[in-house]
Amino acid sequence: MDFEKIIAYLNIQPEDKEKLAEFFEREEIREFLLQEWEVFLKTDCSPVEEDIINNENCISDNPDNDINMAMIPNIPEDEETKARQTVNNQYTDSKDNDLDRKLKSKHIQLQNGKVNQAYQCLFDITVFDIADIGDFELVGLEEIGLKFNPLTDLIEGIPNKAGDHRIILKCKRSEWAEGDPIFERPITLIINPDPRSLWNNIPTPTSIEYYKPDSDCKYVKVEKTKGIFGLGKKEQKDIVAASQRGRSHAHEGTPRDDDFSITHQDEEGWYIMTVADGAGSAKYSRQGSLIACQTVSDICNTQFSKYNKEADELIKDFEKDSSDVKRKKLGDALYNIIGSAVFKAYKNIEKEAQDKENQLKDYATTLLVTVSKKFKFGWFVAAFWVGDGGIGIYNKETQYLKIMGEPDGGEFAGQTRFLTMPEIMQPTEIYKRLRFEIVEDFTALILMSDGITDPKFETDANLNRIEKWNKLWEDITSSVDLTDDNENSAEQLLQWLDFWSQGNHDDRTIAILY
Amino acid sequence: MRRLPVYLVLDTSGSMHGEPIEALKNGVQVLISTLRQDPYALETAYLSIITFDSSVKQVVPLTELSMFQMPDLKANGTTALGEALSVLAKTVDSEVQKTTVKDKGDWKPLIFLMTDGAPTDDWQKGLNEFKKHKYGMVIACAAGQNANTSILKQITETVVQLDNADSGTIKAFFKWVSASISLGSQKIESGGQEISGLSELPPPPPEVNIVL
Repeated sequence: MDFEKIIAYLNIQPEDKEKLAEFFEREEIREFLLQEWEVFLKTDCSPVEEDIINNENCISDNPDNDINMAMIPNIPEDEETKARQTVNNQYTDSKDNDLDRKLKSKHIQLQNGKVNQAYQCLFDITVFDIADIGDFELVGLEEIGLKFNPLTDLIEGIPNKAGDHRIILKCKRSEWAEGDPIFERPITLIINPDPRSLWNNIPTPTSIEYYKPDSDCKYVKVEKTKGIFGLGKKEQKDIVAASQRGRSHAHEGTPRDDDFSITHQDEEGWYIMTVADGAGSAKYSRQGSLIACQTVSDICNTQFSKYNKEADELIKDFEKDSSDVKRKKLGDALYNIIGSAVFKAYKNIEKEAQDKENQLKDYATTLLVTVSKKFKFGWFVAAFWVGDGGIGIYNKETQYLKIMGEPDGGEFAGQTRFLTMPEIMQPTEIYKRLRFEIVEDFTALILMSDGITDPKFETDANLNRIEKWNKLWEDITSSVDLTDDNENSAEQLLQWLDFWSQGNHDDRTIAILY
Repeated sequence: MRRLPVYLVLDTSGSMHGEPIEALKNGVQVLISTLRQDPYALETAYLSIITFDSSVKQVVPLTELSMFQMPDLKANGTTALGEALSVLAKTVDSEVQKTTVKDKGDWKPLIFLMTDGAPTDDWQKGLNEFKKHKYGMVIACAAGQNANTSILKQITETVVQLDNADSGTIKAFFKWVSASISLGSQKIESGGQEISGLSELPPPPPEVNIVL
């Protein structure tokens, strides 16, 4: 504040300058000035009223002024010529003035509400401690589906409109008579929108590089075994998978980064499944995930066709004698098949990046792979895992659960490992990420991206808790009919992926062998 | 639910009296109503306001955006920036959930600190307290030419300066803050990534100058 000017303006002694600052800092002085300012503004913007007063003044000041009536035309009879009244100045009464000032200076707040959700807020006018407030009403509540109950002092109802609503508190003095002022105080009532209504669903433009449909689903039907003369037909497990673009991407019209592949070899009996989650921060990760899934699926397919007999022998050997020697032998063989498929996926992504003159990290993606096959003694399942998400073998009946690796959670949230990191594509790192298991049977072998594990399991530690898997399975099967050979389940699974979870709107991909 | 905690640490000393404090209130109001329209922020962002003048108060504890109510801010007194920093450190320590093996805690808090002057207390002591904890982005804003940017630079790498503390400039700053919070929650929800540097924030408007 420029006190020099004020000193000059008010003609104050320069030595009192220090005190002047203190004077203006005082709350009541400030309020008083603001009050006067408002009065000034109000009178200033009513020119009509002033004109009339001035005219009257003119007349009364000059009582001898002789108006020649004949010089003026007759007064026409219309609205415009209604005798005007001066507007009552609402600040004439100092008691009114005081009440109005108190009402305006109070910090009045109403609890926020949410659209379409029951609202209740106590509005007790006595807490404002303003003497002689009589009747009052709250104007503007009904328009948004609320009303004030004077018996309970509650504002209640179900708000039907989101926004910052202006509610006017209108008060009368306790001994109010017709013509007395009514005091008004605006109060903001915030009604929040339903977050679900705020999400846009903008289709990804098909013209973008590496376009990919916003959702995808697939069913691999493995029909019942023929049996002998139609007898002893046996059900065989099928695979279903679905992938849905996250709301966060749909809101921006950006593409789905996840991908998957599922396949079954009718000859050799191998089930090959992959799920990949392209990094949100990498601009072409949607292509990275696609190349990863396709390459691994293709290579595993050819390798298992070629080395089916050898693989079978090693697995049978291991089943009979699960010694470290046999384990190592089988592990090495799987490294040569799955490991080389994963490495080829890395190489293919690298080549794509070079061809398009992009950075390898622009294609960053996680990767989950399983290969499995049924033997007489049970199921053989092998897995490779880089990044977040999860792979689990789940048996509802026996409550058996096996997590086929470890999520690369990273020290801090949101840090993960990607297939596209050269340090991950080292032999020991690849080997470390391979797991295999023989189990009698299972309800489901599930691969899922973190778009599902984050909302359904929350933490990496929870991934090992059978209760969480039970809940997940119950949840899925309540809307997806996972019976043998039901091809409709692919669409149903895709629908299921649309589940609502606050703050979790990443792409979601799941593949289930059941 | 992992929250994105956002702390607004605001100078309400006597020098903010008049237009600046009104602009500040207005800025916070705009911030809230903008964020309430953003589905990312509405679902993850939690907001707290700590004011500092002669003393330090957390006028709004960490609150879900949809339940946030505008506090009544008044400007008077001196500039206890040091105490503000130590109160902030304590508050973050008690309010923000840490990540453990069993639970994924909250995201790292975003801090926006705004001052128009120089501290009048032992700020070094407060700064030491502050430095003991981990935060996400810490953005300090010098509102007007009287703010001491060299002290702010010791608090955080990221310091911006407003040419003056008039309502237009302060509003522009808060719009930028709001866009930054939106982007922060978007990054989290679409890929679990946190904002880690100024380069990842939306470009500041012309009124907001980056102090190098």
